[in-house]
Amino acid sequence: MWGLPHYILGPFEILGHFFTALGSEELYAHIGASLLRSVPGFLIGASLGIAFGLAAGVSRAFDRMLSPVIFLTYPVPKIVLLPLFMLWFGIGDLSKVLIIALACFYPTFINAYYGARSTPTILVWSGLNMGAGRLEIFRKVVLPSALPLIFAGLRVSLALSFIVMFAAEMINARSGLGHLIRVAENSLRFDLMYVSLVTIAILGYVGDSLLRRTRHRVLAWQEQPA
Amino acid sequence: MSRLLPFVLIAAALAAWELVARSGLWSPLLFPSLAKIGYELGLFVAGSEGPAQAWISLHRALSGFGLAAAAGVLVGMLMGRSRLVAGLLDPLFSGTYAVPKLALFPIFIFVFGIGSLSKVALIFLECLYPIVIITSQGARSVNRVLLWSAQNMGASRAEVLRRVVIPATAPYIFAGFRVALPVALIVVIITEMVSSADGLGYVVVYALSSLKTDRMLAVVVVIALLGWLLDRALVALRNRAVYWEKLETYYV
Repeated sequence: MWGLPHYILGPFEILGHFFTALGSEELYAHIGASLLRSVPGFLIGASLGIAFGLAAGVSRAFDRMLSPVIFLTYPVPKIVLLPLFMLWFGIGDLSKVLIIALACFYPTFINAYYGARSTPTILVWSGLNMGAGRLEIFRKVVLPSALPLIFAGLRVSLALSFIVMFAAEMINARSGLGHLIRVAENSLRFDLMYVSLVTIAILGYVGDSLLRRTRHRVLAWQEQPA
Repeated sequence: MSRLLPFVLIAAALAAWELVARSGLWSPLLFPSLAKIGYELGLFVAGSEGPAQAWISLHRALSGFGLAAAAGVLVGMLMGRSRLVAGLLDPLFSGTYAVPKLALFPIFIFVFGIGSLSKVALIFLECLYPIVIITSQGARSVNRVLLWSAQNMGASRAEVLRRVVIPATAPYIFAGFRVALPVALIVVIITEMVSSADGLGYVVVYALSSLKTDRMLAVVVVIALLGWLLDRALVALRNRAVYWEKLETYYV
């Protein structure tokens, strides 16, 4: 159509293929397989990142021990460890979940760390003066002031979890959207390629919107940036 | 003693690795000893092939990053300073922010070919987002009082841009760069692992498929060092360019 090369489809053609695929069970199986890797990976990595980040932001001993290692290894692309993880944990889902968790750990750690550290000292002093215990200070002062940055970290991690999931599936998998796009590429099924692309785009967008909505709820007391 | 704390964790990890490697419980394929990894690392760095492959990856990563930096700063500044441009482009960038651009790679291969161009294009696209978003945030939040003062003292629009807006945005521009640079490295390695015949990502996959785990780990170390060095260089550059503001958090 319109003299375009055959691998470029028009938007209506793509939508047509997408809706056709929505009627087949195969697409849902791939979506399920992908989400079963990315969601646990994201949850594990992000919760560990927040926990350790807050701990390092609050305690000096933790800070001294953890932070240098984390900051040193932060610019390293974690995906290079996938082959190693495949050797250690098998080529199944476990190695993929763990590599996604590892990738998601870093942004949440760094943001939770700076979130906790940027708590205004005066608020901590006031809390102490009014007789709050350490746990109470952490829960009522440090955590709320760290939350905006924690959400910023979660947003980066979520986007990263989709990238790493897709990459891991493209490199080695028997199911999932990344696998689907590889199969489509190898068999020159351009329609399937675009179906996979549209699906992952929608998943990414929905995940991000859910996260933004949660932030809006949790941080209702805060001025909201876009 | 407290100065040594940072090294405790690293030393413990290395010691644990060597212990596992020597215990004989696992095959040396899974845990090659540090000495073997070090030997392979030496071979890789000293040989002619290793640095050449590293240069190929570096070249791709920096080309994509450089293009994204130039375009991203321009677009981000426009979005930050013009309501019209922001209204036009903001929905586009925030709507597609969370979409993994990596999914476009197979299509890019068909459009740009299987060589470097498709990889550079993808790196450009992935790096563009953080740079545009953070730069536009910075350009938007320039202190209004400074703008008014400059205008009152008779500065022209070009002068205001050069002497007020750009210096005030500079820390944010570098923050965007610092987010984007590791992304460039991630994408170059991924794309080389997925489909390539050269570059460090390819060497990793090749070493694994020939069951040379020690070699693979040596290349992983090279990639790690590369990422770390690039980040250090960027921070040094930032501290020279933005000498009036200290780096207070990781990014700004």
